[in-house]
Amino acid sequence: MADDKKSLVQGLRQRDPELLDRLIEEYQYRLFRYLLYITGNTERAEDFFQETWIRVLERGHQYDGKFKFEAWLFTIARNLVIDWQRQKKAVSLDSMMDPEEGKGFEPVDEKAESPLNLFLQEETQGRVQASLEQLPAAYREVLLLRFQEEMQLDEIARIQATPISTVKSRLYRGLDALKGLLAGGAA
Amino acid sequence: MTMTSDMHARAVTLISKERVEGISAAEQEWLDRHLRECPRCAESANATQQALRSLRALRSAVPRELAARTQFRVRLRAQELQAREPRWRLIWAMCGASWVAGAATAPYVWRGLEWFGHRAGLPDLVWKMGFGVWWALPAIVAAAVLLMEGGERGAARDAGGAA
Repeated sequence: MADDKKSLVQGLRQRDPELLDRLIEEYQYRLFRYLLYITGNTERAEDFFQETWIRVLERGHQYDGKFKFEAWLFTIARNLVIDWQRQKKAVSLDSMMDPEEGKGFEPVDEKAESPLNLFLQEETQGRVQASLEQLPAAYREVLLLRFQEEMQLDEIARIQATPISTVKSRLYRGLDALKGLLAGGAA
Repeated sequence: MTMTSDMHARAVTLISKERVEGISAAEQEWLDRHLRECPRCAESANATQQALRSLRALRSAVPRELAARTQFRVRLRAQELQAREPRWRLIWAMCGASWVAGAATAPYVWRGLEWFGHRAGLPDLVWKMGFGVWWALPAIVAAAVLLMEGGERGAARDAGGAA
C-alpha cells in the first residue's frame, strides 16, 4: 500500500503518461459522477473532467501522498468549478457554496435537459434523482462524498475547505431534506 | 415504558447521527431498544435507511470516449510541457552565467563607466545608475521571459475556456 502511494507520488512528479492513463481509467466513473453532482450539467461535467486531469498533470508534483489520491483529485475538480463559477458571477465563495446563505451554489443550466435524467433509467432512481436535484449543490456534494464515496468527515472537510462541524451540519440537513423529499414523492 | 417526546427527539437525532458520524455503543443500545418499542421512530429509521440505499443505488454512466479523449489531451499537454522544459533550463543557465560574469567583471565595468561618465561630463548619479541597470539586466530579461510565458499560458487557457 505504502509502495503504491510512493510510486503514485513519483509517477505524478515525473508526469508519467502511463500512470495518468491508468488513473483516468480508474477514476473516470467516480470523478465524473462527482462533477455531475456539483455542476448539475453533463457537458460542463465533461469539460471539467478533462480540465481536472490536465491540472493533475501540471500540478502532480504537489501531491505528497499524505492523503488519499481521490480526495486530492476531488479538491482539484471542485476548485476548478468554483473558479469558473467565480468568473461567471462576481459573488463570494461562501455565498456560492453555503446553502444557508441565499440560494447557494447552483450552477445547473436551466435550459438544458436535466443531466441525471439522461443517465438514470429506473423509476426509483428517477425519483431519487428528482429529489437530489431539488437539494442545494452543497448538500448533494456532501451526501455523495459521505454515502457514495464513503469518505471520512475530515476528508470531506479538506475537500470543501470547511470545518468538520460545517460538513456535519450539511450532512444532517441534506439527509433530512432528502428523506423529506423522498417521503413526499412516495406519498 | 412510557415514551416522552424527548425520547422520540433523541431517537430521531441518533438515527441520523449513526449514519453521519457514528454513535457510541451505549447510544446504539438505547436506540435499538427504543426502535423495538416505538413504531413511529422505527419507521423514521427505515426511511433513513431507504433514502441512503436509494442514494447508493444511483448509477450514472460516463459519456463514451470521455476517458480516451481526456487521455489524448493529457498526453498532448504533457508533450507541450516537456518541450518547454529544455528552454527553461537554458534560460536559467544563461541567467546564472550572466550573474557570474557580472560579478567577475563588476570592478572593470565600474571603472569603465566612471571613466566614460567623467569624459562625457555626466553627473555621478547618472553613470552609477547605469551600473545598477547593467547589474539588473539579467534579472530584467528573466522577468520579461516569465511574464511572456505567463501571458501565453493565460491566453491559451482563456481560449480553451471560451471553446
